[in-house]
Amino acid sequence: MKISSEQFKGNARKQLANEALQSNLSRFGGGFADRRRDAVVKVDDFEALRDRGASIRAEVLENLDYWLLKFEAEAQRRGTQVHWAETGAEANQILLNIARNAGVQRVVKSKSMVSEESGLNEVLTEAGITVTETDLGEYILQLANEPPSHIIAPAIHKSREEVSDLFEKHHGTPRTDDIPALCEEARGQLRPHFLAAEMGVSGGNFLIAETGSVTIVTNEGNGRMVTTLPRVHVAMTGIEKVLPTLEDLSAILRLLPRSATGQDITNYVSILTGVRDEGALDGPQENHVILVDNGRSRLLGGDLHDALRCIRCGACMNHCPVYQNIGGHAYGWVYPGPIGAILTPAFLGLEKALDLPQASTLCAACEVVCPVRIPLPDLMRVLREKELTQGLRPWHEQLSIRLWRWLALHPGLYAFAARWGTRVLRWLAGRDRLLHSLPGLDGWTDGRDMPAPQGETFRDQWRKKQAAERKIIPIRVDQSLPEKTAGLKK
Amino acid sequence: MNARDRILERVRAGLKRPTPVSVARPDRSLAPMARSVAHLLNDFIARAESLQSTVAQVSDLNAVPAAVAQYLQAQGLSRKAVIWPSLKALDWFSCGLTAEARPPVSEDRLGITETFCGIAETGTLLLHSGVDHFSTTSLLPETHVAILRVDRIVERMEQAFALMQSELGQLPRATNFISGPSRTADIEQTIVIGAHGPRRVHIILVG
Amino acid sequence: MRIGFFVTCLVDAMRPSIGFASVALLEAAGCEVTIPDAQTCCGQPGFNSGDRTSGTALGLAFLRDFESFDAIVAPSGSCIGMIRDYPALFTDDLALQARFNVLIAKCYELSDFLVNHAPKPLSAGQLNLAVSYHDSCTGLRQLSVKAQPRFLLQQTQGIELREMKDAEICCGFGGSFSIKLGDIATQMADKKCTHALETGCDAVVGGDLGCLLNIEGRLRRRGDQHTQVKHVAEVLAESLVNTQLEQS
Repeated sequence: MKISSEQFKGNARKQLANEALQSNLSRFGGGFADRRRDAVVKVDDFEALRDRGASIRAEVLENLDYWLLKFEAEAQRRGTQVHWAETGAEANQILLNIARNAGVQRVVKSKSMVSEESGLNEVLTEAGITVTETDLGEYILQLANEPPSHIIAPAIHKSREEVSDLFEKHHGTPRTDDIPALCEEARGQLRPHFLAAEMGVSGGNFLIAETGSVTIVTNEGNGRMVTTLPRVHVAMTGIEKVLPTLEDLSAILRLLPRSATGQDITNYVSILTGVRDEGALDGPQENHVILVDNGRSRLLGGDLHDALRCIRCGACMNHCPVYQNIGGHAYGWVYPGPIGAILTPAFLGLEKALDLPQASTLCAACEVVCPVRIPLPDLMRVLREKELTQGLRPWHEQLSIRLWRWLALHPGLYAFAARWGTRVLRWLAGRDRLLHSLPGLDGWTDGRDMPAPQGETFRDQWRKKQAAERKIIPIRVDQSLPEKTAGLKK
Repeated sequence: MNARDRILERVRAGLKRPTPVSVARPDRSLAPMARSVAHLLNDFIARAESLQSTVAQVSDLNAVPAAVAQYLQAQGLSRKAVIWPSLKALDWFSCGLTAEARPPVSEDRLGITETFCGIAETGTLLLHSGVDHFSTTSLLPETHVAILRVDRIVERMEQAFALMQSELGQLPRATNFISGPSRTADIEQTIVIGAHGPRRVHIILVG
Repeated sequence: MRIGFFVTCLVDAMRPSIGFASVALLEAAGCEVTIPDAQTCCGQPGFNSGDRTSGTALGLAFLRDFESFDAIVAPSGSCIGMIRDYPALFTDDLALQARFNVLIAKCYELSDFLVNHAPKPLSAGQLNLAVSYHDSCTGLRQLSVKAQPRFLLQQTQGIELREMKDAEICCGFGGSFSIKLGDIATQMADKKCTHALETGCDAVVGGDLGCLLNIEGRLRRRGDQHTQVKHVAEVLAESLVNTQLEQS
């Protein structure tokens, strides 16, 4: 997948001007929040479920190595071949080798975000293997040659007319704008692929350590087909997706569908363990799991550790006002929205995604809905701190932060600056009492006026008022303050 | 050192300790829910119907073929079915149905299966793979009829797993929780019933 | 009850009337209000931009200036939110952290204080105004400020409270976000303005001046010169003045 997180500002500007996207966002974007709310309100104590989910995920991460090894042992015991990939590229190679060894020419895929990270499809295609995405949204994007813009509803940025156009172009069938008819068309087109493919590739919503199983949650049935019909099944997923027990899975499944789509349960929950049952007539003869690191292990024990709790529900982006205004493609990589603002710099490097942690008002709408209580705004602040301390912010930004802090620690000078600063602004605003442009602040004034300061500062007015009413006793500034703060500087 | 070793090494380094030899299996058991069969049944039916499954009830297994025939008649569907071998003994023929005990091929329109258990909490069917439990019967044909014994309805998913554990010992290749006909909302967030899997799920409760 | 009033940097510089209104309300609610002279800023502009020292240094200044009061009140959810986060910055000094914990337990956003913690309930004022209330994010999500301003507004005779669509969705201010990612902020502000205007209100009311400047800035740029944008303190103080005038 082409990475464009470095061009976030430009991307965002383009998407704000993208009328089709803006129309689709306003028509479809808000629905997720409504549906989640409707689902949550039916649950007795959803906050208790969130607490449970957060502690299950936190505990797994505390012993991630143990649970991964347990998963590996159990999976192998059941005939699954377990592979470990440090990078996405390695994962692709492993999968390619499996395919070659098994004489695979056709692959059907159900959704895997990790395969988007690694760019699996291009690697397989270049090796002469046909890959067909079967999740309807991913299939639409495969035809459009576009990346997903949302982790649950990948084609949410597309209108039905755009889908009609794509189907008309690629299927050679009469054009229809009717949504059920479009779905029917996809069903018909994809069914033969399921039946013919030699290999099914899936992601893994969760890995269950105690049984060595891969769990996938779907609604369409493509996940079941991909993991049942072909003779080889490969699941690839991140190392952080392991859960200790089936009970843990049950608890997490009370959170995931509700948080993602507002469903009490996804249509299908499929737990795949080992190879075809002895004597059975369906099921893969070869079963593989690729455990992908790709930057995850480096986050463990660090200040972004909590981000690894993520269960990829998409609730954060559904509630993020920034995402809802610019869409997912602006974020420039696999994961958009608040979690993307954290994972993209975490996995690709901060220099590749400087604007992403800045792309938030820290409104905390995401934090309030995260089913596993990831402190997303705090993590964005952590990344902002890293940017500042590593000198990755523009010089004028660093300067204004320092200047403001210094002034605020010197009340007398602060009062002076405020007094004169507001006088200048009032003068600039003129009779309008509105500033239409401000040097260096066109980020604001390009789209908004700035109301002028009302008059004298509160401080000055209050002082005058106090002086008029009684004799003023100024409070002495604590001269030892600089020493105290020096000791605490990090 | 290979990739596996390097990954585990980084995990250990991050967590600042060697890999523990053992970690206690987390105990997250919920208090058992003492609910009557009638209660569970009502919950199950209500939730299954809210997910666009249809539900019928018969008193015993022998009444199933007639119930299926009635359903097919009402829906205007063909009476040719593929069934699980365990259902061969039922009298399909007298009810006008052709029932073949084999995995479905793409032309088959109707698949009839048994159900390991039902889950009242979400109106869900649990089917697992096995020698005579073809996974594809509940997947490929556009109509899936599932026969579920009323005394096999549990409250929650955890109990379903416990039942699997006690009766099967270990999980088979595929453990499928099915909560209604397949669906998608990938185009304009409009829900369409009938995606790649069945368009219809008809549950016949027995007992 | 001795209140230390934290004016906030924005109110001090941009709209002192909010400060005066707040003091009047606090006194009407039975408080003795002191305004420590050395106060400047809570530190969130720098802190939210990643400068930890802005938080620690200004946190210490705040502790020094306000520790001695019975309660501290500010006309801003985001400032009180920042203040409530101070203890987490002092994990290295448990004694200091303990002092901060005592301090933050008595720091309140204005409307929350007036409804839930003031010595006397605020009497109902009088003001004919149709208003729509914008929920500022930090106040809403960190401090649970939601019902309090609405209660105070609705008890005012003549005020008609009209809920706007998406009142809880961020207006796009977010401090430096409003400048750094200004075009996104402008669109967010624009949506907020549209939703507010759809109610036909006379005034958009809120509890944080940053939000209000952002909303007013967009309204004026859109050509709306007449919809008022007011802090809840201003509305309430004006309504009380009206009843006092009536009574006098």
